[in-house]
Amino acid sequence: MALKKRRFDALIIGAGGAGLNAAIQLANTDARVAVVSKVFPTRSHTVAAQGGVNAALANVLPDNWHWHMFDTVKGSDYLGDQDAIEFMCREAIPTVYELEHNGVPFSRLDDGKIYQRAFGGQSQNFGGAQAARTCAAADRTGHAILHALYQQNVRARTHFFDEYFAIDLIRDDEGAILGALIMEIETGEPLLIEAKATVLATGGCGQVYRTTSNAHINTGDGTAMALRAGIPLMDMEFFQFHPTGIAGKGMLITEGVRGEGGYLVNKDGERFMERYAPNAKDLASRDVVSRAIVTEVKEGRGVGPNADHVLLKVDHLGEEIVSKRLPGIRESGRIFAGVDAVHEPLPVFPTAHYVMGGIPTDPYGRVIVPQGNGEEVVPGLYAAGECACVSVHGANRLGGNSLLDILVFGRAAGLDVIENLKENRNHRPLNESSVETAMARLTRWDQKGEGISVRALRDEFRKTMEDHAGVFRTEEIMAEGVEKLKALRDKLPDVRLSDHSKVFNTARVEALELENLVDTGIAIAYSALKRQESRGAHSRPDFPARDDANWMKHSLYFKQDDRMDYKPVRTKPLTVETFPPKERVY
Amino acid sequence: MKFLVSRYNPDSDAAPYMQEFEVEVPRGMMLRDALLDIKRQDESFSFRHSCGEGVCGSDGVNVNGTNKLACITPVSELKEPIEVRPFPGRPIIRDLVVDMTQFYQQYKAVKPWVVRNDPMPEQEILQSPQERDKLDGLYECILCGCCSTSCPSFWWNPEKFHGPQALLTAWRFLADTRDQATDERLDALEGPYKLFRCHTIMNCVEVCPKGLNPTKAIGHIKALMLKNSV
Amino acid sequence: MSRKASGLKAWAIQRLTAIYVGLFALYLLLVLLFAAPADYADWKAWVGGPVVSVAMLLFVVSVLMHAWIGVRDVLIDYVHPIAIRAALLGVIALALVAMGLWAAQALILVRLT
Repeated sequence: MALKKRRFDALIIGAGGAGLNAAIQLANTDARVAVVSKVFPTRSHTVAAQGGVNAALANVLPDNWHWHMFDTVKGSDYLGDQDAIEFMCREAIPTVYELEHNGVPFSRLDDGKIYQRAFGGQSQNFGGAQAARTCAAADRTGHAILHALYQQNVRARTHFFDEYFAIDLIRDDEGAILGALIMEIETGEPLLIEAKATVLATGGCGQVYRTTSNAHINTGDGTAMALRAGIPLMDMEFFQFHPTGIAGKGMLITEGVRGEGGYLVNKDGERFMERYAPNAKDLASRDVVSRAIVTEVKEGRGVGPNADHVLLKVDHLGEEIVSKRLPGIRESGRIFAGVDAVHEPLPVFPTAHYVMGGIPTDPYGRVIVPQGNGEEVVPGLYAAGECACVSVHGANRLGGNSLLDILVFGRAAGLDVIENLKENRNHRPLNESSVETAMARLTRWDQKGEGISVRALRDEFRKTMEDHAGVFRTEEIMAEGVEKLKALRDKLPDVRLSDHSKVFNTARVEALELENLVDTGIAIAYSALKRQESRGAHSRPDFPARDDANWMKHSLYFKQDDRMDYKPVRTKPLTVETFPPKERVY
Repeated sequence: MKFLVSRYNPDSDAAPYMQEFEVEVPRGMMLRDALLDIKRQDESFSFRHSCGEGVCGSDGVNVNGTNKLACITPVSELKEPIEVRPFPGRPIIRDLVVDMTQFYQQYKAVKPWVVRNDPMPEQEILQSPQERDKLDGLYECILCGCCSTSCPSFWWNPEKFHGPQALLTAWRFLADTRDQATDERLDALEGPYKLFRCHTIMNCVEVCPKGLNPTKAIGHIKALMLKNSV
Repeated sequence: MSRKASGLKAWAIQRLTAIYVGLFALYLLLVLLFAAPADYADWKAWVGGPVVSVAMLLFVVSVLMHAWIGVRDVLIDYVHPIAIRAALLGVIALALVAMGLWAAQALILVRLT
């Protein structure tokens, strides 16, 4: 049977905040835009973001984008590109207003303006008093934003391919991206989408770890597709562990809880963050708080029968604040920890949360790869959101900057695609051999017979990632981990499905996801092994200090031969002075 | 514990049937975990799920006769044997996976976006905390479909009756002080079908996993219609 | 009836008639319990009174309208083939109109004789 084909001006893979904010820009012009998502768009993981989105609106306290920029550069442990950070912090303000105009039900202040709360790592006046910069819709900000963006796309009649799984990018011999092969999950039928521009907006890869705040769908699909297309991944060693996941389960408790006045205590009831971050205390940067919690537990001051977690106190805030500002948290605490946050503290422990690294892009969302001594744009390919690395988060992302990242750079990518379409009016000729390679990735799973199960390899891989590429990383642990992970990768060809049916075969989808997890996970572990310093989320007891002389550079991991390359950090902002590296204290 | 789950694969089965599984239930196990355990035993078992914390709305199923979100339903609260079926009244695609197309069409039909005729201000459109409070209990909907697929009126007229989910959404925009399309929205809801098939049976209120109240929202719409027409 | 009548108006009429039918039924019940007419002449005098006869006529009309809307709702819910539904609605409409005319005739005759 001949392969079905469709043609669009632009193809967006992923329907979270980044994909939908790119799509709406295109749909508001007369471009033909297709959005492919493996789940119905409002199920995308943006929906789970709780706390808010940062923008220096100054609705509560004095603020400006330059202070926001300083905090982001400092939070990134000076690994973020300062031109991209300046761009993001400036764009934050119109972006949030645009969201509000698009119907997001932000919480409000008495004067009718958008409510802003305190969040970790945010300061006034370049490291001064705590700022209130995080715009929130109660503790359901991501949900409110994702639904509003989907609704706007429905209004603009964006063409959605709901429950289609992207198999692989299609590219020609020059490396230009021509679209993607996708599969309708309901029927199992492949479909080729040709597009003049393709935007990867597939989100994160938290499922590479066993305990994670990430959804089942966050399997690094876009990052793995990029790797297979010969594109490197940047700064993958920087994986954020959110300090407050529900202990043993991983569901997230937003930083907004601490922003509203909640704090952490150990088994002695001590507010231990005062020791680790005397000024910012519980609102220190996420990597700092996560390491503090792990240290408390390691040194025997953990809570619970196994002394394996700490407590997050909220009960002193009173019922009114909790039910007004943090209703979702109260609900989660009740359901997953059996605790009513109004009366009892919540058991928490760090949980795998966010990958700072990803597909390298410029501030317009264009994917860039090393070429000779410089860099060049991959024709026809964009990336935005968690799967991309602009890089604005550097070695550590601040709370409230991820919604901002996906919205600003999703929008920027959409706008740049519009410009790009003016110059590239025609589809490039299709490359049949690339289509065959992509088809082979799909048909490979039709192989029958005895073999390892997807589930078994997946479980082992995720456990290995957790043990060997987690919060604290030594040479020995990581080197052993990389070997184990490679051995698991070598077993992939022996994995077999027992279910070969076509209709809504979720086992086949999970098999395709497993390949993506393995490629993305190894990128994380390998990049981590090679970086011999401690910076942001990458914490090495054997190299405890930050080493700006040797390591203030971005790492690039290539799938082919597991090769590493490096490129300098862009320290020059667009219009303001560079923030030179300083010791990072909170 | 004993689980009976509905199985159906259109390639090989003439009709859905119930299959028995035995699942070991540790403390705190959610129904989704149990379904994942069943998938471990038989990888051909299909159901939708994602976030695992009740915000994405993927894993609505019918458990012991009631629509629930599997990931926030503790197994300990369910009577054995636990019977898990797909949402009632929807075409079954496979096992617990149903075709929700009509549900989404009804959602889209109420024009679920803020309509603003005035020029947009440079900053935010102002809204007082009291005005914003009116959206509480409305905007939190996760589109899981528990309500509409438990509504007899939606069973009988899914192509014409908006159903509780879409009507809750309709009221979410009518109640938003930023929206300027009240008359158009109300006019669009006129006629015997879209709104007035609701007979206040209130199954929707009983099953909503987010504790929302579509029946109340529908009452508000009717009251506003009446007020605007006299 | 206009297109508008079939939604909001039907719903409002159903509620208004329900209130009237409820109140009048209560009144009827009280009359029958505490001041029941002793014989036909007594009954005739009571029903033939100007207030009672108009209220009674209104009651009959209310019951019929309420019934019409209720039955129509049930048919819309359950009977989807449009021809069958139209036929059923026609038969019911005829029956309701006949009942109404019969009741009106009775009330008018009581007044005249």
